[in-house]
This record gives sequence, structure tokens and C-alpha cells, in this order.
Amino acid sequence: MSRYILGRAAQAVVVLWAAYTLTFVVLYLLPSDPVALQLGAAGIETDKLSPVQLQAAMAKYGLDRPVLEQYLSSLWGALHGDLGTSIAKQRPVTALLGERIGSTVALGAVAGVLMLVGGTVLAYLASYVRWRPARILLTRLPSVGASFPQFFIGLLLIQLFAFTLGWLPATGSDGFSSLILPALTISLLTSSLLAQVLMRSFDDTLSQAYIVTARAKGLSRAAVQWKHAFRNAALPAMTILGVIVGLTVTSAIVVETVFARNGVGKLAQESVVAQDVPVVLAIVALAAAVFVVVNLVVDLLYPLLDPRIVHVPKVSR
Amino acid sequence: MTVPIPPAGQPVPSGLDRAVEESLLDDAPVVGRRGNTVRTLKRLGRKPGFVLALVLIVFVVLTAFVPSWFTGFDPTATSPKDRLLSPSLTHPFGTDDLGRDLWTRMLHGSALTIKATLIALSIAIVAGLTLGVVSGFFGGLVDVVLMRFVDVLLAVPSLLFALAIVTALGFGTVPVAIAVGVGIVPGFARTTRAEVLRVKTLPYVEAARAGGASWLRVLVRHVLPNSWGPVLVLAVLDTGVAIIAIASLSFLGFGAAPPAAEWGTLISNGRNFLITAPWVSLLPGLFVGAVVLSLNHLSKTLQELGR
Amino acid sequence: MFTTSSVPRRRGVAALAIALATTLGLSACSSGSSAGSDDLGKPQAGGTLKVAFWPDNAAFSCVDPFQTYWIEHRTVIRNLADSLTDQDPETGEITPWLAKSWAIAPDGKAYTFHLRDGVTFSDGTPVDAAAIKGNVDGWLETVKATNGAAFGSSYILGLKSATVVDPLTVELDFSTPNSSFLQATSTTNLAIVAPDAFTRTPEQRCLGEYVASGAFTLDSYKPNELLTISRRPGYTWGSALSKNTKEAYLDKVEFSYVAEDSVRTGNLVSGAVDIAWPRNPFTVEDRALIEASDATVESRSLPGVSQSLFPNVTDGRPLSDLDVRQAFVKALDLKSYATTIYGDDYPVVGGAFDETTTYYVSQADKLAHDKAGAEKLLDAAGWTLGKGGYRYKDGEKLTLKNLIQVSTPGDELIQDQLKQVGIDLVLDVVPAAERPAAITNGDYDLVGTYFTRADPGALQFILDPDLANSKALAVNSSSPETLAEIKDLFATAARTTDDAVSKTAYADLQALLVDQGVTIPVVERLQYAGVSNKVGGFAFTSESFLKLNDVWKKQ
Repeated sequence: MSRYILGRAAQAVVVLWAAYTLTFVVLYLLPSDPVALQLGAAGIETDKLSPVQLQAAMAKYGLDRPVLEQYLSSLWGALHGDLGTSIAKQRPVTALLGERIGSTVALGAVAGVLMLVGGTVLAYLASYVRWRPARILLTRLPSVGASFPQFFIGLLLIQLFAFTLGWLPATGSDGFSSLILPALTISLLTSSLLAQVLMRSFDDTLSQAYIVTARAKGLSRAAVQWKHAFRNAALPAMTILGVIVGLTVTSAIVVETVFARNGVGKLAQESVVAQDVPVVLAIVALAAAVFVVVNLVVDLLYPLLDPRIVHVPKVSR
Repeated sequence: MTVPIPPAGQPVPSGLDRAVEESLLDDAPVVGRRGNTVRTLKRLGRKPGFVLALVLIVFVVLTAFVPSWFTGFDPTATSPKDRLLSPSLTHPFGTDDLGRDLWTRMLHGSALTIKATLIALSIAIVAGLTLGVVSGFFGGLVDVVLMRFVDVLLAVPSLLFALAIVTALGFGTVPVAIAVGVGIVPGFARTTRAEVLRVKTLPYVEAARAGGASWLRVLVRHVLPNSWGPVLVLAVLDTGVAIIAIASLSFLGFGAAPPAAEWGTLISNGRNFLITAPWVSLLPGLFVGAVVLSLNHLSKTLQELGR
Repeated sequence: MFTTSSVPRRRGVAALAIALATTLGLSACSSGSSAGSDDLGKPQAGGTLKVAFWPDNAAFSCVDPFQTYWIEHRTVIRNLADSLTDQDPETGEITPWLAKSWAIAPDGKAYTFHLRDGVTFSDGTPVDAAAIKGNVDGWLETVKATNGAAFGSSYILGLKSATVVDPLTVELDFSTPNSSFLQATSTTNLAIVAPDAFTRTPEQRCLGEYVASGAFTLDSYKPNELLTISRRPGYTWGSALSKNTKEAYLDKVEFSYVAEDSVRTGNLVSGAVDIAWPRNPFTVEDRALIEASDATVESRSLPGVSQSLFPNVTDGRPLSDLDVRQAFVKALDLKSYATTIYGDDYPVVGGAFDETTTYYVSQADKLAHDKAGAEKLLDAAGWTLGKGGYRYKDGEKLTLKNLIQVSTPGDELIQDQLKQVGIDLVLDVVPAAERPAAITNGDYDLVGTYFTRADPGALQFILDPDLANSKALAVNSSSPETLAEIKDLFATAARTTDDAVSKTAYADLQALLVDQGVTIPVVERLQYAGVSNKVGGFAFTSESFLKLNDVWKKQ
């Protein structure tokens, strides 16, 4: 068991390292002159500089070193919690992330709660309802939620709830009420994902023998669904937690732009526009780390929650 | 060897947007074999939802190639006096803030959007299929290495990775398409690999191997033809995913050079008129939604067919 | 830096970049401004004013007076830091502020300022001659430290040193005369801060590590999120151009940054903010929406270089031919641009400068739309109509490449206007960070920029290769002979102490720029503000920034 845990953790670390390296490679394969680009991001125009000044500016950002050396020092720094300095903002990347991460975590948390409620209720109803048209409608609903671009949904929600009805603020970072609309926008997508997974598990579970037995013993359908099916359906749903977290992070890029929230997603968008390579690299690495850790935790918890799963077959082969 | 094969019935934790697809796909459906084609078509013809979705998609593809069949306007001709006209017989989608006919711009936008989607899908299919086939067919160390690589791609949320690629390649339709394509490679790789593994153990494949057929021959004659079903379903579904991703990247400002406009650009250009001229944003938005929904429906029907 | 970043860096979002404009005249007819304030009654003290800006500068977060070029932050700074002088937005006259009087040496090489007594920075230290000298020294150091990229460098050309004459008298000495320096002392960029700020790095000052003597003090600056300022108790030295020269009415002002134009306007209309302060002019639709909600729309033309295109006249490029440049200008329908993009009452640009710029002379007659004239010029220049309605010469298509950062409806309108005469205008979207390199390598025909500053000298920082931030843009935009003429006119205007000489020089300059197609004006830049009906005392400064001394909010 502990060997499994160690192995799984080592695997996670390797994936994380490889994700960092892959992103570094992508970012440093810039077609244009990386020096002019990054100095441009810092507000320095190369054609104004004398060769000596140019050399000094390059040295300041470490651009005068070979790429491999830049990579090693960037990786070494990242291992020590130093993600470099933003070229455009002239501040340590960790400080920028620190300032902004709270907002995104709060957004993600509220979106997560909305997703759980929305996804579960939808899946539960879809399995419970017997009237065919309604059932079909409910099962198709999740794909509707995933068929519209999120910025479009966000703008519609703002127009409706903030400007027409005046119930909720469209922007701002103060308080819970300003979180609802952006979180709702994200959760429309994530809950459609959750609902689809739950619906399938419900259907699988409800056809199993012990459910039939429970029904035969006289339990109502609602009660069976709640007591037995739900517990079992929740387990497969856990495995998509990593995906949902990843989805929330990427949704944040668009949603934070639309709702003028100053989170990590917005930082990512700003950094791409400013071609601020260290910040883009750090955010990608951070997102990968979150994904890897969540999946690791889910993998490790899974057998504890569902004793039917044994490790050995999973790692064999 | 530690190749994690997901336990049966357990959805694979995978990259962005992919879980929906894979939760749909794990039954490894195979679309109807040759002999059944006519019967299959008849069955599909009786499904109004399927027919409707198919008609819309065929229409969109047609508009992408011959937009002039469906409109007499020039997509870039401005006409200040016709600014922000609401939908009418002359202008089915109304006009935008420069007086351009939105219906025409939508149709001409199809070409760009479809071009970008095709680039993205080709990348995903070629790379994903290669990775999946090689991995599943050869197994062993090759499989371990390739699937680790796919794991790495999966670990980075795809839109974020697309942003990194756009940072490197610059703005425009092609970079965006490449970025989106790379993001959907892992799904194809995994699906193809699972299929190849399944087909590889089928009795007639084993028989062919035992009968002395070469690896390549087995691969081309037996494995590939029998693996394409789920890949097709995934491809249809991913077309929708790619359309949304391309629209989002256009919204963030990384899309095609003006005055050409992808669907995402059209939706986002109208967003400053949501109250005063809602059709400028709403109609393109609903159109895109209908297209993506149709693609989802098609892939779902194809998949059910295979069961 | 400003030249490259001036075109609003919008990300995808949105949209229309291009700023707007109007005139002194127009500021009077700002729509509905009479509706609000009159019914409001007497000013009340207290309350928090909420202002929604467009997004912070992604590449350069800065609230340091001397360094920032970002218009929104110069607005904030106007309320944090006082200047030696003030400028009347109506007459352009320079009036006393921290300096109660001044004298300029006959050779234009020395300015002596007599300071007002009793003024203190918010840390309690006095605003005296030594403090002014400290600022001058700090400016000169900052110019060096930033390679001249600091925006304030453009205001202090020729400034050599400062000398304390007595505790309240300071003399500023110049190596070469600089006739626009007096006006410069009224700007936010030369606003005075407590000199110990210069012991900090330019980056630290950018993030707000300084104190000053203004009617408000900076509480916090979180880039691109929120900037908060509070009333300074005991403030009594407001410029006489404000009605209220004492403590401000408002307790606090919160500036937020909203990327979406529709959301910023919606926030005003729904009452979530009190003032919506856009970078791109409101659309006609947004203005109607704001007025329908009982808020008012205020506007004033931003002084300085109008939103213009600068050609690449290097040999071998189509625009090296003056006839083609003039045909380009004739093909543009600037009136249609203004009315289509920003509304029927929107002013039409009249030259290289916006109307509120000192010494502005309209060149409107030379900028009139003349399609037939354009076609004639192009035919004569050998560009004849061919395939697809475009013009060709020796088999080559008349294609012009315009480097833009974000596509705007205006760009696409111009593109279509040019197509009418057979010119193929390609809009090449180049991200801000790649723009300098793209300009340097010279593979472009047009590039748009603007520059907000009340003095025509501003244009030197685009056109004079010795001063310009983008040397390549300056070198490419005119022939060496024309450049020599331009430099000569700027020098004449700067060297003289006779206003009439400056006036003539700048009039000649404005005519030359249009005649030679050195600048191709596109649109006047208008600063709009949507103001809630609860807000009274709204006022623009001469730089078209927001001045809060008189602003109050009905509780």
C-alpha cells in the first residue's frame, strides 16, 4: 500500500516536472526575437538602446544566457518557490499570484457549491422522472449548458440579473453577492459535466441487483435513489474532480475578464497580451500542480471510500 | 511496468471538456458494420432530432464553401446609414454597427470557423491517432512513454495551454487553431489506444496474427478499420468543443485579422449593444449554440447506434 | 513608451479602441449636463464616490506623476498632487497654484517661481524651494534611470538644474530655451511630490510610494483592481480655478477597473458606480442609455495629438509617393467616421492636433472627403484599377499594411472607405509587446498613435527621431527634407519667448504636416464621462482629466 502511495506520488511529481518543461519549451520557441519581445513587455524599446544598454537590459532579465541555462535556473527557482519576476509588472510572480489567488479560489469555491447543487439536482430528477418527454429534456439539458461560449452566457447573465432586474452586482470584489453571477457562469458548464456523469452512474446503479432487492422490500423509489444509488454514484463523480478543477481554472480566464474580477485567470489573460513569459509559465505550472494534486488525492482516497477497488490490478499490466 | 489502465466503468480523469465525452464513450461503441448501412440509415431517418441536426451541419458546411448561394451582400461592405437595423426580410440577422449585413457575415464567418476547426481537428486526429495506435499496438515501453506524455498534456488545462501556445506563435486564425488542436490531442490518443487494445484481442485479429500476417497488415487491415467508430464519435463531439474554444480565444482578442470575423468575434463585437441592439450578439450566439448542440446530438446518436 | 501603448491595448475584449475627442466648444454642449447638478442643491460633505475606469495598464502599472503616461492615472494624480501652476481649461491661461507668481528670463533659459507659503505635503514637510529643487533633481535622475522612457521627460527638454534662491523662491535653469515649460508646470506629470520619494526606486514610486500636497491622499493602489484615495484634512491651497479651494467634499474616492465597456456603462446606469470614465468614447447607444437613466454625459476633447496614422515613406513603399498619401487622405471620409462610430454630434478631426490643444489651427478644408480627387491622383501616379476593384502598378497590388493592436469598428470602416478607391488596407493585429519590433523592422505602411498633452510640442515625441520613443516610427514617417523643416519649426517655437512667433511656427507646422501627409488624422479624441445624477460639481481640467475639488455626492 505505502509502496503504491509512494509510486503514485513520484508519478505526480514527474508529470508536474514534464508539464513545466513542456510549457517552457513552448514559450521559448517564440518565433520572434525573445529579447525584443520581453524588453518590449518591460517598456524598453530596443531600437532606442545602445549596444551596451541593450546588453545591460538583457542581463537584467537573464536573457543573455543560453536557453538551457535559463531553463535550469528557472526550474531551480520554481523548486524553491521563486517563480521569477514579471517582466511587464516588474514584481515577483509569487507576489502577483499571492495577491490574486484568493479571489479565484473564492470564485472556484462558490462555483463548486453551485455545481454540486445544480448537477446533483438535475441528475436526480432525470433519473427520478418517468414521463418520457420530461426525462429526455432533462437528460439533454446538460449539453445545452455546454454548447454556448461562456463569455456569451456571462454577458447575458449580467444584462439580466445585474442591469435589467438589478438583483446582483455585475462587477466588484466586495462580498459574496459579487461572486454569484461569475460563479453561476462557471457552474453552468461544470454542473453539466457533473450531471452527465451522475446520470450515467445512477442508471448503472439502479439496475443492479441490490437496488432491485431494496425496491422489492418496499422502499419507495425516491428513498432507494437517495439512500443507495446516490452514494454509489458519488464515487465515479469524484474521479472527475481534477477535470472540474481544471475547467474552473480555464473558465476563470474568460469569466474574470467579463466580470472585471482580479484573479489568476485575468492575470493569465493580461500576461498573454503583454507576452509576459514568466507569468504565463508560472500560471500554467500552478494549474498543472493543482490538477495533479487533486487527482493524486482522489486516487489515494478512492480505495478508502470504495473497498471494491483494489490497487494491484490498476498498477499491473 | 506501471501503465494505469482505468478500471472498467470508471470514467477516466482527463483534460478539459474531455470527461463528458469519455463518459459517453466508455462502452466502446462501434458504428454499424457494412451490411447494416441501409437499415441504419433508415433508422436514423426516423429520428427528427438527428435529421434536423444533420441538416443544420450540412447547411453550415455548405455556407462555408459557397456563402454566395445564400446571400447577395458583401460581408465587408459598410453602410453607415443602415447601422444597427433590426432583423427583417432583407437582413435576416439585422445589421451591425457599421451597417454590414450580419447574416452575410455569419455565413462568411463559417468559412473561417470551419477552417480553424478543421486545422484543429486534423492536428488532434493525426497526432492523437498516431499516439493512440502506436501506444496501443506496440504496448510495452513505447506505451508507457507515450501515455505519460499524454498524461502531461492532460495535466495542463487545455485553454491555458492554448494561451501559452498563442503567446509563442502570435495571434491569428492558424495559431489559435493549432493551440486548440493540441489541446484536444490527449482525448483522441486515449480513445484510440483503448480501441486498439480492444480490437487487438478480438479472435480474428489474433487469428490473422497467428496466420502469419505482418504487423503493418494487421494494423491497416484489421485494427484501424475496427477502431474508427468511437474516434468518429469523439471527432464530431470535439468539433463542437473546438468551435467554443476558438470562439473564446477570439473573444480574448487572439483571433483572425479584421475585417474577417469568426463566429466568436461576431458574438463579442455585438456585446456592447446587448441592450440597445440585442440581435447583434444574440443571433450569432444562438446560431453557434445551435451548431454545437447539433454536433453533440449527432455524436450521441452515432454512439447510441453503436450499442 | 506612450507611442507604442497609446492605442488602447484591449484585449479581445472589446473593442473599439481609438479614443475620441471634442473641442473646448463642445465641452459646453455636453449632453444634458444641465439636467443634473442644478436640481441637486448645495454641495454636501461626505460620502464615497465610485469611479469605473477601463483596465489598468497591463504592461506598466504606475501612479507616479513623472513616469506614468496612462490617462486614467494622470486623472488620479491630479487629485493627489498639486502643480506649480494650473491651466484654465476655458482660456488656456496659466494661473497660480503652488507658485503664486513667476518670471521668465528674456533669453528663455531661466524660470523663477515664488512659492505660496504654508503649504505642506501630507507627511507634514513643507512645500518649499528645497522641495521643488528636490523634484527637479529627481526628474533628471529618473530620465537617466529610465533611458528617457519616463513620460515626464517630454516636458523638461533642456532643463539643467534648480537653485534655491530663498526658502520660497526657486530658479530653474535651462541649457536651451523651452517655451512650453510654463504650461508643462501645470500638468500632472510635473506635479510636485515630497522629495524623499526620489530616494526610492522608480518602480516603488510607480506603486504609490510617495506623498504629495493634494486635496486627497492615496490609501491603496492594487493594480487593475482598486485604487482608493481619501480627503486630506486641512487642505486650503486649491487652485483658484476650482470653486472650492479648501478641503474636498468627498470622504473617499474609489477607482475600479472594468474591462467591458458595456459592463462599465451598465454599472453607472444601475447605480453601482457614480462615474463611468471610458477610454474609448461612449457609443451613441451607450450615451442614450446613460441619459435615459437620468445620468448625464460630459465630454471634452483631450488636448494633444489627435488619433492619427503615421505613414512609412521609406523608398519602395507605396506611401513614399506624396500623391498616394494625398489620395489616401482624400479617400478617408472623416465625417462619416465620426458620425458612424460615435454619433451625429461627434466632432470631426481638424488636423494633427485635437481642438483643445494650444495654437490649434483647423486644416479641415484640406481633409475633406473627395473620392474623385483620390482616384485622379492614383491614376496619375500609375496605380490603375484591376482585378477585384483594387489598383495595380506593374502587376503589384496597392496594398497598405496598418499595424493595429486591437481591431476596432473604426479601422474596419476606414478599410472599407479605402476599398472604394481601390486601396487594399490590411489590418495587421500585432500584440503590444511585439509592436516595437514590428515598427523597427519597417514592414508596415501605417501605424496609429496619439499623445495627450496640452502643448503642440507633444508631437516631437512622435516625429523627431532624437526625442521619439520609437525612433523607427519617427524616421519612417517623413522624408529627411520634411523632417528638417518640422524640426526647424519646433525649434523656432521652443526658442522664442514671443508668443506670436510660437503661434506662427505652429500654424505653419500644422499646415505642413497635412500638406506633406506626415500625419493622417483620423478622429478627434473626446474624453467622455457618464455622471450619476447624485453627483454635483463635475469638472474637467485643461488636460481633460477629472478634478475632484468641487465634486460632491448627494447622500
